[in-house]
Amino acid sequence: MRILVLALRRVAWMPPTLLGLTLIVFTVSHVIPADPARAMAGENASTAQIEALRTKFGLDKPLPQQFVRYVTDVLSGEMGVSLYSQRPVASDLLSRLPATFELAIAAIIVAILIGLPLGVVSALYRNSPLDQAVRLVTIAGLAMAAFWLAILLQLLFSMKLAITPVQGRIDGWGPDPITGFYTVDALLRGDWEMFGTSLRYLALPTLTLALPAAATIVRFTRAGVLNVLSSNFVFYQGAMGIPRRIVVWKYILRSALIGTLTQIGLVFGNLLAGAVVVETVFSWPGLGQFAYNSILQSDYNAIMGFTLITGSAFIVVNLLVDIAQAVLDPRGR
Amino acid sequence: MIHRRAGRFEVDRRAVLTGAVALGTAGWSGCAHAARQKFVTANNNPYDILDPHQVFDIGRIAIRLNMYDALMRWVDNPPKLEKWLVEKYEISPDGKSYTFTLKPNVKFHDGSALTSEDVVYSMERILALKLGAYGLFKDIVVPGSTKALDPQTVEFNLKTPFAVFLAVLSELWVVNSKLVKRNIKDNDWGAAWLSRNEAGSGGYALRRFDPAIGFQVQRFDGHFAPFGKNAIDDADFRVSMETATRVLGVLKGEFNTTDGYLPREQMARMKADPNIKTWEFESIRTFYFIINSWKAPLSDVNMRRALSYAFDYDGFNNDILGGTVVRNPGIIPNPMWGAPKDLKGYIYDLDKAKYHLGLVKEKVRPLQIGAMAGYPQSEQGGQMLQAGCAKIGLDVKVVTEPFTTIAAKFNDRERAHDLIPLWRSAYFADPHNWTGFIYNSGNFDAGNASYYKNARVDELCNKALEITDQEQRRVMYEEVSRILVDDAAGIFVNNTKYHGAFTKNVKSIRFCPIGDAQDLRWIEMEG
Repeated sequence: MRILVLALRRVAWMPPTLLGLTLIVFTVSHVIPADPARAMAGENASTAQIEALRTKFGLDKPLPQQFVRYVTDVLSGEMGVSLYSQRPVASDLLSRLPATFELAIAAIIVAILIGLPLGVVSALYRNSPLDQAVRLVTIAGLAMAAFWLAILLQLLFSMKLAITPVQGRIDGWGPDPITGFYTVDALLRGDWEMFGTSLRYLALPTLTLALPAAATIVRFTRAGVLNVLSSNFVFYQGAMGIPRRIVVWKYILRSALIGTLTQIGLVFGNLLAGAVVVETVFSWPGLGQFAYNSILQSDYNAIMGFTLITGSAFIVVNLLVDIAQAVLDPRGR
Repeated sequence: MIHRRAGRFEVDRRAVLTGAVALGTAGWSGCAHAARQKFVTANNNPYDILDPHQVFDIGRIAIRLNMYDALMRWVDNPPKLEKWLVEKYEISPDGKSYTFTLKPNVKFHDGSALTSEDVVYSMERILALKLGAYGLFKDIVVPGSTKALDPQTVEFNLKTPFAVFLAVLSELWVVNSKLVKRNIKDNDWGAAWLSRNEAGSGGYALRRFDPAIGFQVQRFDGHFAPFGKNAIDDADFRVSMETATRVLGVLKGEFNTTDGYLPREQMARMKADPNIKTWEFESIRTFYFIINSWKAPLSDVNMRRALSYAFDYDGFNNDILGGTVVRNPGIIPNPMWGAPKDLKGYIYDLDKAKYHLGLVKEKVRPLQIGAMAGYPQSEQGGQMLQAGCAKIGLDVKVVTEPFTTIAAKFNDRERAHDLIPLWRSAYFADPHNWTGFIYNSGNFDAGNASYYKNARVDELCNKALEITDQEQRRVMYEEVSRILVDDAAGIFVNNTKYHGAFTKNVKSIRFCPIGDAQDLRWIEMEG
């Protein structure tokens, strides 16, 4: 019951949060001195031509009026048309959503698979050479720029070892999508060759995103486990003769996970919204590339649409994390 | 005709069926070929819109060159203007009426005949949409003035004589008017539909389009112009924004080629690879600085000359760019007619820079250079000028901004940057593209972002548009070019070289600076 109340309260906060987010992004993107109408019209365009475009897209109206119109459109299910491509922003975003979600989910799975065990082992062998080595790797993982790591991985796995493609999401154009997640679609079709191909394409962008994410998870898991290790119940369980393996992986990890889970939620949100560089380097046809182009072109509607979609995803992920925390922590029930 | 199915845009089945009809009537490649020649190219511009009348840039020119035809077409280097859809044409003695006879039996991809009605509709569509190449025609063609005299004959009646009319007709891409009209929504001239579909007659027809990935075309053997023996059957144009990725993709064989203006270190990497073939051509794309002559002290010719002498041309062209460009002392590219062969440009001479700086009457203030984000050469050029200026005591700041932000200030003489390092690309191969368009004071707020004004330049540029004799025009443009250098209307730095890197199975290309070798028709692969 308490979990349900928590969820409902969080859902009720979603509209004002999104409205606030929309207002901030709208203000910031519209006050910078960029002129999408001129960019759209081309370098040889006349003032009259540019003015006509401003009128057509309502860019000549006062900002508050433009904002109210935008919010009204969003409420009626419209995100406007891209000022640059003149296609509906919503359909462009939806067409790219599966690519970004597939990448982010793969990256968070890999990050958890690497981060959790390493964090636990690192805490259990505190200040040992193993702990120091993990610390070094995690600091490097956090410090290394994504584009640099991406290029290194391309050079090693694509060029030197020739086991992964340099870029793209699939050979050629891929089959007709069912869910839009190529790995899932391949499994649904029972097409193992396509599944393998999809994994090969997914590997490098996933690793690039997963390594820094794993570093964060390692640090928080280690801190959480260290904190729990000194608890009375751990001594008690040890004194009771419960095998250490069970104490660590069943009781300590469960308690330590509460803090880590919040971080995993934040990291996943960042993966959704922040894969711009990785998607650009790997020509991954997702939201990140869309956002990159939209920002360069000052395409207001596209920037707003991207922000709304990723903002909503971020809020939903955090809601799920809160619920998971409540489930894990008996005090939250 | 394109639907989004579970997150993907695809050409409608009806379009495919229409294509299937064309297979029988007009002829498509592929059925008789056992192994098809496939070509993949990586582009650093998003292919977000397919409508040939809504865009007018070089980055997306592959769409127009390959899926559409125009009355005239630029080929080779230096570019030659060829009759393309037309068999012959006549120009009235007053230079205001142009009558074209179309080639017979030209078919659109759906198998229907291309007629003069389609040409008229295409011109009216450009004038109505006010997008893309509208700027080329807006002052000379009045809506409703273009006539279809019979199915094969079309007549243009210009407001005033316009010597480059034939040259700019290469941007009048002819669309299938019946097909477009069937897809008009809310009087939009089919803009929404044509941004995702094609209605052309070009050498290649659209098969698939996904704005996140690019587009795919298939050879249209029903095209009126013959293809080479080993011409490409299918081609993918992929979007890949990161330069290093495009280069690695070519080296690994995932792409057959990419853009021809790569940084020197990436080009060196390509050249060193035994599986890569490279071609080098001097293009017609000049790199220069726009100088905002409206604002003091840049309104003073001595200030502009001081800046021109403070730029290290050799250092930039040979050291920073490693000789991948050619020094171009004026604004008109060296290979173009109208560029004086004996033109003496500025050299890096700090003594002369100081001398001219001393002659400036207005108060000298700190200057701002607006470099284009994402274009390293623009930033490097700005920094090179900044370094030179520092040596003569001039305070110069380099601000890097996206082009949209820089362009936003073009129309505001007071807010516009003092200097902008950028390129003047070739949209049509006539000196007007580099002179009248960007230095005639009649084009303030419509191309002349320098706010430069010189009565003699205006007079010559206007006069050169009224006569068609190239020799007479050449003399005029050469004089314009000399005046612009003497007046230091801009800082003229170099002409670009195209460095095309292709996988070894690409046998030949036919480079034209207007299109940068993106015209698939001229590419042949190993048999």
